[in-house]
Amino acid sequence: MESRLLRVDLTTGKMRSEVIPHSVFERWIGGSGINNWIMWEHFLTHDINCDPRGPDNIFVFGVGPLAGTGAGSGIKGRITFKSPCYNMFGDSAGGGKFPYMLRFTAFEYIAITGKSPKPVYLHICNDEVSLVDASHLWGRDTLETHTMLREELGTYPSHAHTLSISQAGENQVGIASVVSDALRIHARCGGGAVMGSKNLKAIAVQGNGGLKIQMPEEMLAWSDDFRQKIDENEAVYGFKRRGTLGAVEMYQHIGSHFWRNNQGNMFRGGEITSDNWVKKYHKYSEVCSSDCFIACDAKYKIDGTESEASKKYIGETFRRPEYLTTGSAAGALDVRDWSEVAHWGKITNDYGIDNQDLSCAISFLMELKQRDLISDRDVAELFDREQSLRWGNMDDIEFCVESIVFQKNLFGKIFGDGPYLGAIKYSELKGQNFMKYATYGKGGASFTEEMRPFPTWMNNMAVASRGADHLKGIGLIEKFQRKDLSKIYFDGRTEAADLSVPTLKGASTALIENQVALLNSYGVCLFHWMLDPAGYTPQDYYGKAYAAATGIDRTPDELMLDGARICNLEKAFNSRIGMRREHDTVCERWMWEPTDEGMYPGSVAAEMFNPVLDEYYEWRGWDKDSGLQTRKSLEDVGLEDVADVLENEGSLA
Amino acid sequence: MITVHANFHSHFKELASTGEASFQIENPTVEALAQCICDTYGPKMEAMLIDPDTRELNERGTMFVDARGMRVSMSDALNDGDTITFLVGIAGG
Ligand code: SF4
Repeated sequence: MESRLLRVDLTTGKMRSEVIPHSVFERWIGGSGINNWIMWEHFLTHDINCDPRGPDNIFVFGVGPLAGTGAGSGIKGRITFKSPCYNMFGDSAGGGKFPYMLRFTAFEYIAITGKSPKPVYLHICNDEVSLVDASHLWGRDTLETHTMLREELGTYPSHAHTLSISQAGENQVGIASVVSDALRIHARCGGGAVMGSKNLKAIAVQGNGGLKIQMPEEMLAWSDDFRQKIDENEAVYGFKRRGTLGAVEMYQHIGSHFWRNNQGNMFRGGEITSDNWVKKYHKYSEVCSSDCFIACDAKYKIDGTESEASKKYIGETFRRPEYLTTGSAAGALDVRDWSEVAHWGKITNDYGIDNQDLSCAISFLMELKQRDLISDRDVAELFDREQSLRWGNMDDIEFCVESIVFQKNLFGKIFGDGPYLGAIKYSELKGQNFMKYATYGKGGASFTEEMRPFPTWMNNMAVASRGADHLKGIGLIEKFQRKDLSKIYFDGRTEAADLSVPTLKGASTALIENQVALLNSYGVCLFHWMLDPAGYTPQDYYGKAYAAATGIDRTPDELMLDGARICNLEKAFNSRIGMRREHDTVCERWMWEPTDEGMYPGSVAAEMFNPVLDEYYEWRGWDKDSGLQTRKSLEDVGLEDVADVLENEGSLA
Repeated sequence: MITVHANFHSHFKELASTGEASFQIENPTVEALAQCICDTYGPKMEAMLIDPDTRELNERGTMFVDARGMRVSMSDALNDGDTITFLVGIAGG
């Protein structure tokens, strides 16, 4: 297995192609694993404490070895960089066709440094690469940018597929995202601000090259088996129909939404809690990726008859909202009309901005207003106009979004890096401590879900390498009470699935983080794994597809070690910039304020937080007092060189 | 004979064409309820409800909980008037 990396220095305009040798795949698998290593090496010769919006930051795009192979499961691309909003390790996954189309050019990885003197886009057409003036695209949103690039680049050797930023990225808003083909968002951590800071408006790829699969027959057999497993699984069929919106009713039943800045955990309003609206959507012929056997995407078109509010959006069409789009609108902001929820999804995508950070920032402010902690005058000072900040008021919400995207006013400037830094800055400005109402973990905005009854989920929020995160350590064993999985992973023990005890929750985080790191490095969509057609065991199952694609065949134990190695590198990055145990924490609301509704009332993080965190460090072999890695823990996963770097900088326990 | 109530959500609701149903079962166990539901709604519901390999409740992509929000399994006992809720287990997005 070998691959090609395109290095672009935007300051000088120089570009060069490098081979990524087999040995790098042996060590870092691919996708996010290789991205991490490219970034790590970069920051051995550049200041890791650099301004993330400065030319020394790096922006890496990479795609896993299963993408475009027809495996039916390797879909996701990944961007990796130092996060401008959280000032730590940053990365974000995204689907669509861009990732595998990049593989049909001469490259699979792109590393961009420096800063262009003027706005440009990077065009990769098979093995030809160029930086093209983007002044005509500057000031456009992601849909306009994608549409214009498609038109200007034509259809040979293929349609153009794009990654682009909107005005939010251009304005270097910390929570600005990168959008793939104007449809699928790499939302987390502010990759859009990094592109904007480099004057890089977009990346467009066109390719018609082939892919080399090391063991094609094995790949075909794996792919057939995977399709059969999916076809046989009725739950997967249900997922095709509803996508992640299938979670709305489950979350409503157990009390797992994030209502009004997490003052509650159930949605309000009959329509919003029903699944009537699901029937309004039809299957999208153009799914997230044509290399996905599940295809959970659908689209909507508002015809104005759905509700009074929908009349404002007649003709609007976009992808059906995902759960977290719904969770942020119907939950965090208490929007009760489906057309408005859908509209929220569309504008946050077109503006390329993270709707979790956004909704947590806006709902933080709405709660201050609800509690009369700020006056109408304070609000006018923030927005340069009167603003009701009433829960669910879509006009107000849309103005908040535009305030941030276009940096229109004080609100936009204060909250452009999300709710955590926004709450700190606003508390300082007003001389009052409002942190009690900010929802975050490790400085990252909350995912708009209730965390408090779920100790593994909560631990994920505290320890994830990119700040509050339910993806890297997904606490599904516990949330879905999967005793069967607990038994498989922990020698017959069931406590990992028991919500009432802290035991095995930290262990679950470490174990699932390793698995997810592997899946992210293959490029497998996490829904494929979560739906479990293959038995929730990526080291056994998806590893076989990886072996067919790359020729790198590993035992399940070796693969788990690979996952642990990838996680340890992300941790080492954060240790180098000074993050310690005290950073592995969550907000006051989760820590101390009990839930008062849902199936698990009275839940509070503080009950189990420290024992779970201690157990997590133990399973990782890290030092419990400082939270730092030990030399042994790094040597155990083959990272002696990383231990040397940390030791030199005083970041090793 | 006891009466047990079932709440169906998402895909379960679609398969059952109703959000709620009550069943009379002789054997007061989850296994008897599951069998009754499969008999009533047919093979698609069975595919959703029962793991064909183990004949246990299918845990993949599903969530079956009692009134306290605890996941139930085949051998669990039921009382007259109990409600079991059938949910789709997915997160994120
Ligand atoms: S399962 Fe859904 S999100 Fe995942 S790759 Fe397929 S269509 Fe995209």
